[in-house]
Amino acid sequence: MAVNEKGILNRLYFIAGCMFVFGLAVLLKLFSIQYIQGDEYRALAEKRSVKYVTIPANRGNVYADDGSLLATSIPKYNIAIDAVTSKRKTFEEYIKPLCDSLSGYLSKSSSYYEKEIRKARLNKNQYYLLVKNITYTDYIRFRNFPLLKLGAISGGLIVEQTTKREFPMGSIARRTIGYEHIDKKGNVTRPGIDGAFGVKYLRGTDGLRKKQKIGNNKWKPLTDFNQVEPKDGFDVYTTIDVNIQDIAHHALWEQLDKYKADHGCVVVMETKTGEVKAISNLGRNSKGLYYERLNYAVGESHEPGSTFKLMALAAALEDKVIDTSDVVDTEKGRLTFYGKHVEDSNHRGYGKISVSEAFELSSNTGIVKAIHQAYKKKPSKFVDRLYDMNLDDSLDLSIIGEPNPIIPDPRIKNGRWSGIALPWMAFGYGVSFTPLQTLTFYNAVANGGEMVKPKFLKEVKEFDKVIKPYEKEVINKQICSKETIAKLRQLLRNVVDKKHGTGHKLYSKNFSMAGKTGTCQKDYRDKEKLNYISSFAGYFPADNPKYSCIVVIHEPDREIGYYGADVSGPVFKKIAQKIFIDTPLIDEINSLDVKVPAIEEEYETFYKTARTYKTIMPNVIGLPAMDALALLENMDVEVKVKLNGNGVITAQSVNKNEKLKNNQTVVLNAS
Amino acid sequence: MSERTDGMQTVFKNIKGDRLIWAIVALLAIASFLPVYSAASDLAYDKYNGNTFISFVKHFMHLFLGFVIMYGVHKIPYRYFRGLSLVTIPIVLVLLVVTMLQGTVVGGASASRWIKIPIVGMSFQTSALASVVLMVYVARYMSKMKDTNITLKKSILPLWLPVFLVLALILPSNFSTTAIIFSMVIFLVFLGGYPVRYLVVILGSGLLALVFFVMFAKLTTGPLHVKVTTWENRIKNYSNSKDTEADYQIEKAKVAIASGRVFGVGPGKSIQKHALPQSSSDFIFAIIIEEYGLIGGFIILTLYMWLLFRIVIVSQKSDTIFGKLLVLGVGVPIVFQALINMAVAVELFPVTGQTLPLISSGGTSIWMTCLAIGIILSVSAKREEIKEQEIKEDNPLEILSETI
Repeated sequence: MAVNEKGILNRLYFIAGCMFVFGLAVLLKLFSIQYIQGDEYRALAEKRSVKYVTIPANRGNVYADDGSLLATSIPKYNIAIDAVTSKRKTFEEYIKPLCDSLSGYLSKSSSYYEKEIRKARLNKNQYYLLVKNITYTDYIRFRNFPLLKLGAISGGLIVEQTTKREFPMGSIARRTIGYEHIDKKGNVTRPGIDGAFGVKYLRGTDGLRKKQKIGNNKWKPLTDFNQVEPKDGFDVYTTIDVNIQDIAHHALWEQLDKYKADHGCVVVMETKTGEVKAISNLGRNSKGLYYERLNYAVGESHEPGSTFKLMALAAALEDKVIDTSDVVDTEKGRLTFYGKHVEDSNHRGYGKISVSEAFELSSNTGIVKAIHQAYKKKPSKFVDRLYDMNLDDSLDLSIIGEPNPIIPDPRIKNGRWSGIALPWMAFGYGVSFTPLQTLTFYNAVANGGEMVKPKFLKEVKEFDKVIKPYEKEVINKQICSKETIAKLRQLLRNVVDKKHGTGHKLYSKNFSMAGKTGTCQKDYRDKEKLNYISSFAGYFPADNPKYSCIVVIHEPDREIGYYGADVSGPVFKKIAQKIFIDTPLIDEINSLDVKVPAIEEEYETFYKTARTYKTIMPNVIGLPAMDALALLENMDVEVKVKLNGNGVITAQSVNKNEKLKNNQTVVLNAS
Repeated sequence: MSERTDGMQTVFKNIKGDRLIWAIVALLAIASFLPVYSAASDLAYDKYNGNTFISFVKHFMHLFLGFVIMYGVHKIPYRYFRGLSLVTIPIVLVLLVVTMLQGTVVGGASASRWIKIPIVGMSFQTSALASVVLMVYVARYMSKMKDTNITLKKSILPLWLPVFLVLALILPSNFSTTAIIFSMVIFLVFLGGYPVRYLVVILGSGLLALVFFVMFAKLTTGPLHVKVTTWENRIKNYSNSKDTEADYQIEKAKVAIASGRVFGVGPGKSIQKHALPQSSSDFIFAIIIEEYGLIGGFIILTLYMWLLFRIVIVSQKSDTIFGKLLVLGVGVPIVFQALINMAVAVELFPVTGQTLPLISSGGTSIWMTCLAIGIILSVSAKREEIKEQEIKEDNPLEILSETI
């Protein structure tokens, strides 16, 4: 083969030309990326390397009325270990001391941890969870454990911070205080106060910070300020009184447990303001334990039964179609309307009794007969009167889930009205109210006729600044005349005070209560499933009510008992008693001149005698020696009194009505 | 000649050979500091506790050593390289075997590309050395055969056996380097006048060998299998539009290029360097464009094209066939590799992992490039020696070609 220079050079020029073209192609492609695809990639650059990171706002706290914390957010830490990242030498050196420290903190043995961590290292596990949800203090402790102390790269420490909602009161009033729960699918559950005010006040607004990517999962802030500053949530001050809440919760728990009831609720309301001081809702889980399951007080509407007799009588009294002294015949305990029976719980009736007694005895026949007779010609009048007392209005609460009350109306064709609607309404069937709706009416009676809306919130604050105060809201200034109110209050008082009253078991001579029992049948259409709702609604003290309270317990075990007075009454009494004991006694003394009638009388006699007898000897026998002396020595004539003994005068030397002379000596014997 | 140029002459009196090549190399070396320093900041963040100066010093040491090698090599009369290549081929083969047996496995794939130099503790990519030595060896063979009628049979033992041995040893760990070396050998023997029909046979048998290798590797279950699957995927990815790791790298590179626009975002302000896994070596061209814009990219490309031009000139001027082939054999691969690197960044070529000679960080790449340049300079220096001996005739054409 003959190779000459020329041949080489020619081929070289060819190759070099090819490479030059290659270079040109690179250049061309460069231009095409820059100018044809440029915008697309530049947009990608922004998307891939810049992101907005949310800075979560701190959620506001929920406080009780005295400033006790009910709900707050605190940071919690999860600690894990990257079992791979540490060097073999470091790992071997510190693994034992680390596991010793771990077993000192956690319950398992040191060798257990060593085994697990070694296994994780063998399996190249870069995330072995050591502990979850620990506090900041514990996190600091963990950070100083051997190996973990070396940090993320050399030691493999992995720290994740989360924010947890804590409830210092435990499960008490959980449904009412509320929380925000977001499940994996993104569905949000927000019960209670948190649900009502969480989004508006507690949550705050998250901040945003623009960050640029600098390597694997490392982002640096692009600016030295936040694009959107986070705004912390406001604090919400509720009306809940932790002490009353505590009693209510435990008293309810005890009764539920005693009667093996399905669920129940209790609400305590301050009469004047409508502030809900305690609200407890307990339901039973499958294991038979009770917990704050649903907000029954706000959300569960049911037929009230006998507690509604108060509303029925209120209407009738206000319409002046019945008076408490009217006599009704209870007809051996059974009334029949269109083939349906109204029966008394004793199955034999009470003979002829007054309306007042019918209420106190909770005689179904008595009340039904009275109401039926009064309104049978114009039942809509009865319904209208109920409307006038705002009984058909929902309370429009901030806590969601409140159903509207149900009152049958002959003018509204919704299938609720029938021939028996009026008599059945009279004893609380066919109508439906939530416990809180019933309580609101009772509270209005306690409050002299002024119906106030139950309120859960006192105010919303940002530090010390009040953002929104919640004032007392009046639903109806006067639901009925003062006269009617007075009668109703007497009735309610009698239920507890009178020996025959259904609530007499609650009677205490130390403090006064007033209220109405309710033992309502539930699921009565099927005898098999028949159950009871035992309730008690009322207020205390009976004379000058401070708090009203309702207790509703569903499905107590019939074997153990189901009467409202037995099942629900004790909860009511316990709360009343506790509040009575806890309230410092304030006795007001109007004047320092205490007037004891006996002393008063004595004084009167003395005074009278002193005025009458100036010179004539009065009768001092029976008077205290001191008084006798004073009497005689203050007379217009000067007498010398000689007293033998002390105490009450038994004999006087000068007879009554004898004229006395100056310097005359009177001898008195006392003993 | 003026006095001034005489003065310059004394300053560089020890530097022989094509001064423009010296200049281009120096320019490339200087330019390499900026992007390497910038791209390494991300690395520094991870590795050196945020000390970017470490990678700066490292790169400087690499370049300095490279220039020492270059200077040393260019002092060697190039005729010695004939003999040296004969001696070093067996050494290279041994080194390659050692490298292979070290059996480093990265991510389950065989990645035995590096050999640890004892005492110094540095890693060294043996395939880069093998490439230079092999090219010199082939140049030597082709120049020796310049007057004989070469046949396939005759050339198998002295030429193709060493070539295939070297390639076979590199292939398992680095397909792209193997392919580049193979194409460069083909290119060199083509220049040397090797008959094209034999070249087709060689090319065919090379491909066949590759197919066999892949089939064999597929049968195994070790790291070799993983490696082969990686190649397959890379080539598949290049041809289809599925999103994969390689696509992700390419996309980042293109994002970098697009963000650079004409003037670039400014030194050190690259954002994509954080996203690109090989920002200071394989994808440095993209970073250069992001930071210095089209202008920066164009300058780099021009420098390489200019180097190619100078290599052609040096080759043209060399009086011996060996000189010509030697210059081209070691010089063209540098430019070729540079072009491949840039082509990868602009998605003209599948992702290979070839560095940008002299600019990318990485000792081996720099040193071997300097070795090759030293050889080129040695050839051009020899020419100068001869020229000095000749009568100084001021041929205007001569001066023109020297200065361009």
